[in-house]
Amino acid sequence: MNKNAKTYDVTVIGGGPAGLAAAISAHEQGAHVLLIEREDRLGGVLKQCIHDGFGLLRFGEKLSGCEYATRFMHKLEETDVEVRALTFASRIEKTDEGFLLSLIQSSGFEQVKSKSLVLATGCRERTARQVAIHGTRPAGVLTAGSAQYYINILGQLPGKNCVILGSGDIGLIMARRLTLEGANVLGVYEAKAEPSGLMRNIYQCLVDFDIPLHLSKTVTEVHGRERLTGVTVSAVDERMNPIPGTEEYIPCDTLILSVGLIPENELAESLGVKISRATKGPECNQDYETTVPGIFSCGNALHVNDLVDYVSESGENAGRAAAAYAKSGHEHRLKSVEVKTDKNFGYIVPSHIDLPAKDSVPFFFRTSKTRGRTRVKAFMDGKEVFSKVFAGLRPPEMEKIEIEAAKLQGAGPLQFTMEVDEHEQ
Amino acid sequence: MNLKKKQQKLDARFSGSIRIEDSGEYFHLTGTASTWEEAVEAGLLCAEKGGLKHIVSDVTVPGQEKPAPILPKLTDKTLEGRTPDILIIGGGVTGCAIARELSKNKLDILLVDKEYDVALHASSRNDGMVHPGIDITPGLLKKKMNNWGNSIYDKLCSDLNVPFERTGQYLCFKKGWYLPFMTLSVPYCNMTVAGKAHVVTGSKLRKVEPDVSPEAKFALYFDGAGMVCPYGLTIALAENAIDNGAQISLDTAVLSMETEENDGKTTIKSVTTNRGVIYPKIVINAAGVFAEDIAQMAGDRFFSIHPRKGTNAILDKKARRHINTIYSLMGTQSKTGHTKGGGIVGTVDGNVLIGPDAIETIEKEDFATHKDSIQNSFEKHNHAGKWLTTGDIITYFTGIRAATYEEDFIIENGRFTSNIIHAAGIQSPGLTAAPAIGLAIEELACKMLSKQMTVEPNENFNPVRQAIVKPKEMSDEDREKLIAANPDYGIIVCRCEEVSKGEILDAMRRSLPCDTVDGIKRRVRPGMGRCQGGFCGPHVVNIIAEEKHIPLQQVRKGYEGSEILTGEKGAAQENGAEQENGAEQENGTPQEKGGGRHE
Repeated sequence: MNKNAKTYDVTVIGGGPAGLAAAISAHEQGAHVLLIEREDRLGGVLKQCIHDGFGLLRFGEKLSGCEYATRFMHKLEETDVEVRALTFASRIEKTDEGFLLSLIQSSGFEQVKSKSLVLATGCRERTARQVAIHGTRPAGVLTAGSAQYYINILGQLPGKNCVILGSGDIGLIMARRLTLEGANVLGVYEAKAEPSGLMRNIYQCLVDFDIPLHLSKTVTEVHGRERLTGVTVSAVDERMNPIPGTEEYIPCDTLILSVGLIPENELAESLGVKISRATKGPECNQDYETTVPGIFSCGNALHVNDLVDYVSESGENAGRAAAAYAKSGHEHRLKSVEVKTDKNFGYIVPSHIDLPAKDSVPFFFRTSKTRGRTRVKAFMDGKEVFSKVFAGLRPPEMEKIEIEAAKLQGAGPLQFTMEVDEHEQ
Repeated sequence: MNLKKKQQKLDARFSGSIRIEDSGEYFHLTGTASTWEEAVEAGLLCAEKGGLKHIVSDVTVPGQEKPAPILPKLTDKTLEGRTPDILIIGGGVTGCAIARELSKNKLDILLVDKEYDVALHASSRNDGMVHPGIDITPGLLKKKMNNWGNSIYDKLCSDLNVPFERTGQYLCFKKGWYLPFMTLSVPYCNMTVAGKAHVVTGSKLRKVEPDVSPEAKFALYFDGAGMVCPYGLTIALAENAIDNGAQISLDTAVLSMETEENDGKTTIKSVTTNRGVIYPKIVINAAGVFAEDIAQMAGDRFFSIHPRKGTNAILDKKARRHINTIYSLMGTQSKTGHTKGGGIVGTVDGNVLIGPDAIETIEKEDFATHKDSIQNSFEKHNHAGKWLTTGDIITYFTGIRAATYEEDFIIENGRFTSNIIHAAGIQSPGLTAAPAIGLAIEELACKMLSKQMTVEPNENFNPVRQAIVKPKEMSDEDREKLIAANPDYGIIVCRCEEVSKGEILDAMRRSLPCDTVDGIKRRVRPGMGRCQGGFCGPHVVNIIAEEKHIPLQQVRKGYEGSEILTGEKGAAQENGAEQENGAEQENGTPQEKGGGRHE
């Protein structure tokens, strides 16, 4: 180990919206911060998000992704946070003093020490083969994020006649983007019976541009040797299995996939961080501290968000807590209480809370399926500690609630439930 | 089985629609079958396993045409008038091993392949196992070649700097009471397989493979089994052949041959390709699934190839923690059958492979995968590894085996044509056998050539090929020095596989040219990881364009015609038409627009 290694209080891995917010908030707590970004510029995926709709919650205005990121980057410039772009964290080891990071950069190989870590590594896109699309392997099959990079960063249009699989937000945004750039978007296909993206994107990206949305249909096979020549789409049953006999061939030269995002936690896993099956991100407490003391997680690495505003919020939370950890170590609270939900929930974050809580605790959850008026309640030791009615819940739309610290007392677990709000009907 | 009996068998099965004749050198099947499976069945019905008198089948299926080979669109005259001593047709592992072994001699060697890279058919579409030869019938030529090839692997891979791991293989058994019988079979195994075999108890098995299924009560262990990256080896053989003076011409398809008759023997006079007419002294047929077509062009058709496809799934490196070697469980079949041997294989690159199945097909180049293949393989191998889950799949691929009806290799001089040598019918264990086939063909070729020229050793032959550096596997100190000398090794392009820009540029600057996204992927692995190029794809495209000084729109995924960016926008921009972007400028901050284009 390099004895001359520089030491930081907090090292943030990833310079996207979560990492930017984490670095700034850790700095504001007086921490000496290192921010590592593997690409040549900060901003993460926001760099290629030239569409608007970012920052409504935080800034009360509609910004493009680039503008949203730039606001944080300007703020970062006023700090003494050390930023390393085009730098790759190849390996992280746990040491007695904290963490030893091995960094690869064009200036050389370097090891640095850090008392705490914030993992803001974002997420990756699920690929064609990961959603069981069979057939050949021609050019012209790409994820929505790659297509967005080609168009918005490299200034290149990937194809002329496009089919989009998946009605996730990126898929919808790319449907509009491709249309604006002169490509012909033949349709968006969604295996589920309802769209996966935000309602506003369905209207602004598809309806406004007359792009058809085909629900309960999926692409089962791609054709073509050199370049994609067409796709087979099939209707699917309730369990999303293709129904034989419903196959339809659609000639096209490009298939864009927006079939889900997977939190990137390979670094976290290498450090022994426990990953939640529900979120695919680390299990964590209300400070977003993972199961390994000193390692914090935020943004889409923690769970896939639909709004960047929440990503920044989790980054700030994690950065603040990481700075506190660097100062005084893991905060030993009286007890850790598990957060449980009934089957109506897709997932909830955090997975556990450490009591006593200092401030009110925010919870982020998704419903497992679309619901009408629903009452969400939380109980602790049989006592109701929270109750709120939602006019409607949809899996693509993440909800946030807060519970006052004073109410979070008892042995636990903290149990969340959902029920139809009959009173109102 | 005499001819009459063969015909009776055919009649009993196909009610007279298929005829068999003895043409002296081979049995000729003609007629029609109602499906391709039946056409193949007819051949297999009459064939004698390992028989030297082969089945040549012209059985057709009404309404089903055998697809013609897919040919390169390119035509030029770069090879016009070339007079190599040896023309090798086929750039798979067999052809490349032959070229490499032949380059030990002072010869003008030309290898042609119709594809844009070597190892594009079966050699990049198999599970990479170096077999001990467990289930090959003794007496077959492929048994001999397998065991010989297996014994050469350590030295060859060390010379070529190709990763090779002699992991060994566990053949697991569900029934504990088989153990005494299997113990008795060990001496026989030791006589017939490459390496040694011994019985291991369940508890010993679990010390090496803790996650093997509880169904496995004991195992036969074969220490001769190993793992290699099949296309990595093929590329290395090709590069080493070129380094030693051989020429490899890609995108070069053999279209026809001109032959002449002399004293009842046929001789190949010239070979016409899309890149000119070649006048070789001798021709080596290593054309895989097209070996029969090449033999026919040469007037030397005495065998038939019936393509048989198999699909493998590749699992995330995370699944690798469940497997250290290679294992399979005897007596497990998926409900629908159609799986062939195979097993769960831990690859040299740290992934896990499952498969393959085996399905007869009329199409020699249909590499499409199908859902059933993956389901069948998982169903079967789930017995050996309960941990297997389709959720770990990162991708899958199909390969096509070049099987003869006799299910054996053909490594011999032409029977009708005097200046051709065949390395045909090379299917599994062709990868294991390849180094031996290289040596065997070298001997045959030198002997054939020595009738018309003196073959001298190539004094400059260097068996060692330097591999592309792998910074990821270096010590921290070495990596530091490497990056200091060339900062491109410090720029990580593919984060899943931790591949640097330096390695990608290296892949493009080797003796065997490579300028496609897939070609680079096979050499240094960007895009091989769990995101399958989602992040690094555009970066690799950019690096190729930069290195080759071509517009981004000309960068190909692989095949000719597989350009990645085919929309109009980029083309318009190249011409200076920027107005399309005008409207967007207001949304994006100016420095974000187009700033990523490093030109």
